[in-house]
Amino acid sequence: MSGGREPIVTVRNLRLWYYTRRGVYKALNGVDLEVMRGEVLGVAGESGCGKSTLGLTIMGLLPRNAAIVDGEVLLDGFDVVKPLREYYKKAKRFRPDKNEDVLKRLHKEMTRIRGVKVTMVFQEPMTALNPVMPVGYQIAEVLLQHNMSLLAKRRLARAKATKDDVKEALNFLRANDYAGLIEYVKAKGLEGLEDQMLAIWRRRDLHDLVKEIRILNMCCDPVNPIIESGLKYTARTNKLPAAPVIRQLVRRELVKEGYRKAAEFLGLLDMPEPEKVVRMYPHELSGGMRQRVVIATAMINNPELVILDEPTSALDVTVQASILELLNELKQQTNAAFIFISHDLSVLYQVSDRIAIMYAGKVVEVGPRDAVFKEPKHPYTQMLMEAVPTLEPHELKGIKGEVPDLRNPPKGCMFHPRCPYAMPICREREPPMVDLGNGHRVSCWLYSGGERK
Amino acid sequence: MAKGGLTSRILTPERKLSLQVFFSNKLAVVGLVIVLAYVADALIVQFAPWLIGLKHPFEVIPDYSNPVPQPPSWKHPFGTTYPGIDLLRAVIKAIRLDLGLSVVVVVPGALLGIVIGIVATYFGGWIDDVLMRLTDIFFSVPYLVLAIAIGYALGRTITSMVIALIIVWWPLYARYTRSVTLQVKELTFIEAARAAGASNYKIMFRHILPNALPPVLVQMSMDLGTIMIVISGLAFIGFLPVANIPELGYLTTLGLNYINTAPWTVLVPGVFIVIFAVSVYLLGMGLMDVINPRRRSSL
Amino acid sequence: MIIAGRGLKVYFPVKGVRGASVRAVDDVDIEVGEGEIVGLVGESGSGKTTLGRTLIRLIEPTAGEVLFEIPDHDLERYDEARERDDVETMKLISSKYSALRLKGKALKEFRRKVGIVFQDPYSSLDPRLRIADIIAEPMIETGAYDKDKAMERVVDLLEEVQLPPEFADRYPHELSGGQRQRVAIARGIATNPRFVVLDEPTSALDVSVQAEILELLRELRETHKMAMLFITHNISVVSYMADRIYVMYAGKVMEKGPKAEVIRKPAHPYTQALISAVPEVGRQMRRVVLKGDVPSLVSPPKGCRFHPRCPVAIGTCGWTADEVAEALRRVLEARYPELSQRARLRPLGELELEVKGLSASELKDVVERESEFNRALKSIQSMSEEGGRVVVRLTKYSEPRMIEVARGHMAACHLLSASS
Repeated sequence: MSGGREPIVTVRNLRLWYYTRRGVYKALNGVDLEVMRGEVLGVAGESGCGKSTLGLTIMGLLPRNAAIVDGEVLLDGFDVVKPLREYYKKAKRFRPDKNEDVLKRLHKEMTRIRGVKVTMVFQEPMTALNPVMPVGYQIAEVLLQHNMSLLAKRRLARAKATKDDVKEALNFLRANDYAGLIEYVKAKGLEGLEDQMLAIWRRRDLHDLVKEIRILNMCCDPVNPIIESGLKYTARTNKLPAAPVIRQLVRRELVKEGYRKAAEFLGLLDMPEPEKVVRMYPHELSGGMRQRVVIATAMINNPELVILDEPTSALDVTVQASILELLNELKQQTNAAFIFISHDLSVLYQVSDRIAIMYAGKVVEVGPRDAVFKEPKHPYTQMLMEAVPTLEPHELKGIKGEVPDLRNPPKGCMFHPRCPYAMPICREREPPMVDLGNGHRVSCWLYSGGERK
Repeated sequence: MAKGGLTSRILTPERKLSLQVFFSNKLAVVGLVIVLAYVADALIVQFAPWLIGLKHPFEVIPDYSNPVPQPPSWKHPFGTTYPGIDLLRAVIKAIRLDLGLSVVVVVPGALLGIVIGIVATYFGGWIDDVLMRLTDIFFSVPYLVLAIAIGYALGRTITSMVIALIIVWWPLYARYTRSVTLQVKELTFIEAARAAGASNYKIMFRHILPNALPPVLVQMSMDLGTIMIVISGLAFIGFLPVANIPELGYLTTLGLNYINTAPWTVLVPGVFIVIFAVSVYLLGMGLMDVINPRRRSSL
Repeated sequence: MIIAGRGLKVYFPVKGVRGASVRAVDDVDIEVGEGEIVGLVGESGSGKTTLGRTLIRLIEPTAGEVLFEIPDHDLERYDEARERDDVETMKLISSKYSALRLKGKALKEFRRKVGIVFQDPYSSLDPRLRIADIIAEPMIETGAYDKDKAMERVVDLLEEVQLPPEFADRYPHELSGGQRQRVAIARGIATNPRFVVLDEPTSALDVSVQAEILELLRELRETHKMAMLFITHNISVVSYMADRIYVMYAGKVMEKGPKAEVIRKPAHPYTQALISAVPEVGRQMRRVVLKGDVPSLVSPPKGCRFHPRCPVAIGTCGWTADEVAEALRRVLEARYPELSQRARLRPLGELELEVKGLSASELKDVVERESEFNRALKSIQSMSEEGGRVVVRLTKYSEPRMIEVARGHMAACHLLSASS
């Protein structure tokens, strides 16, 4: 159901090679893919297929020995890999140190985008979190880096609002008139108030009565006059005021506000007792809680795209189930697009709108979830489905052979050495991507008029 | 490699990779060359001194007829030191002795330390506690002071110096091996060996030791430089009450009285100590790159 | 039975804290019959890995017995003696079959008859040894074969696991993950053991490789009639492989039975939750019911370990005053803010707590309304006003025993004894 949406990411013919001492690994060999706004795209594949590399490329997080040999990655119109590609095309010999210079310049440009438009969630929550900082601070940090203005506005709104103001606002909430609330808040010059109110209102663990009490308390909280103008400055410019002492005081206030917002957000993510949790350290939390914290850091600034690389692989199956449920809800509530990378097809089925299957650095099949899962067209996809064990046991069939050595990938179709339907043309030429209708595309000679002998 | 069986069995892709990594580090190569030069010197002086025309390879020959140190000239490329000792010849002989002594200290010391380290760490419990407290005792005393004390107690000979240094040096290896052993001990193949019925002895020396050895070997090579400095230092302070030994530290003492007028007498032997220490350090750094798995994969 | 664990306890001391231990395995009974594949399922902290290793004496249990190659009738006698607390008979049977008392040559015999395959193909093979040496090691060390014969067998074993004989001279780093795991299997069966423990043998492998390895294991079981203990967190895999299943949680066995029974008609609430949490292609998962996390193994929940997370727990499942006080506090804060301001809760002992600031009727009201969703409140037996406060008394708990649900299918849950 991707009709009518436009893409936030477009990948065209992406080719990426890793230059290592052991040889040149052709990790991505002509990847074509789009991610539509607001959808969840599942990217499936086994080890070595390039799915993680793809995720890192979209974020621009590549190591110095990664060469973009060809192709483009358009992130909301901005070609992330352009400078790297141009360097490679011009250079006579690939030199990682020169490539690194290009990467550094790319990093500078990407800082506007990373954390704001695009964020990433990795597999191991323990290594993604800083063990010596409370988790609330780490979530707040995202806002402190990119959106101090929001924090300042929230604080000022609470200072300015009167008891009557919040009572009025509560009426809008009770009537589920969110648009009305936003207008009201603007009219009264209380921007930032709706952010806090909605966060409390949407929580499921609190009783309505409790929510109302908390919302009614979001007023009459005056700010120390010393920092008031500083906060107004930050609200306006998204920067800290320059004056030395005021700067620190304003920052301190913003950090406090950040903790508050972090707790609110964790509440939305079904974290029990979030106000307590934000003061805790990562090692005090369980795996599921940590992963929620990581998801919070990725989503608190309302990104347009979130890339998740095996986010549930390190979790127990019961914890995984709750995280998947959480993701499904986030999908409903926000308009962010998600790229969910995993080797686990059953997990991908639960969350994806569309799914792409990768093998040896290429997308071999892509399409709406039900189309691909119910009627897989590519032999690899078909064999993959048959290899997944189910609760009701069925005969498992593996795939004979090994994934190809990417230093020396096979000629023609990457899968032909292991494909039971391989035809002479498969050994010679790469099959084109064919549209089978309904957005279901497959890259296989069986569907492009290949001749069997 | 298209060549035949033997070469490709010795030069496996992993070994080729190791050589590649090592030789990409220019400084390490420089270090290697210099160290090899020292080794060549030592071997020639030891086994074939006649090759370079040395008649008395194991002692320096003073020339009292001309005791005053002479600056470098064609006859004496490094000059001479008091009393009339040709520095070039002296240094060539001294390299053999110093290198030899360093090896004789480091190798047994390391061996002792490694064994103690592995045994203590593998068994844990009270064995570990006792042995580690023992190493702590040694660590708490500055090694130079301890070495001098032991050396004096055993009589101030070269042998006693070597023994003293071995005694002082093994705790370092015990500690070092301990940290590596702790890591290896947790790896699953150790459990697999136990499940296979291997005895503790077999596990320690067949499984743990080969895996723990590479970083320890690197440390050993770097220690050669450190020990040479220590030995020279001890000789410099007059630890050895002998004369006319070809030893770099001792040689520097000969020129002390002339340091203002004839600085080369002190500089030349000193420089050769420093060159060795630096070279062996660079070599060690190069070896560390080779064993570091990440350096091997990236470019 | 090939191997039977009885009353196994494995407690690991906590560093620096006297008397505290991690109760990884806490009073577990398990048995594997000849040629049978038993699946051991559980999440992290369940104790399944520790149990597997204890059965083959890689870890020594803190208490309990492991009986090896014991005929069924002797095992029955042992169990009966255990019921009666007949230590004498138990000792007699143990002396004959216990694997824990073996030393020296007898121990080597035991090691020859059991094998193990580990999870991580990357760290379970010594990187410094050739494949041939790795596979030969158990044969040589247990004295099953001498060096030459062992090397011959290596070639045969490589063939059995479908690897070419040239691999014998290679080193682990030259092999892929799937190939390494085949080597690990070859090593595990090298001495022709009667019992093999497989600890998550396919969890680190791609799904297409996993299918092949599982198929290989089934074939090996056919040819060699080996009994296997298949430890995994993946229920679908265990459904494919096992004849019988044990489900573990926090160091205890929650349920056991024939595979089809346990998976299609799980009797224990934990098993039910576990199975409903398994994602499958073609089926959208229902709303998740299980909240919270695996408990601490140092001070595990009383009574039934699962009770704090159980959606259908009842009064006798193990609720303590601390837990009930916490539950009350939370529910008051979340849903009864006015009462929450007034209330002061304090546990008075394990099964008693006092509440100040609320009347008994107010409290009763809350409990009645909230106990469906807050199971802790189900344990409240009485609430009486005594001396200006309400004293709440809880039902005494007990640990659930294994109750037979169907032939060979048992679960440890109080809900099952209530019925029938």
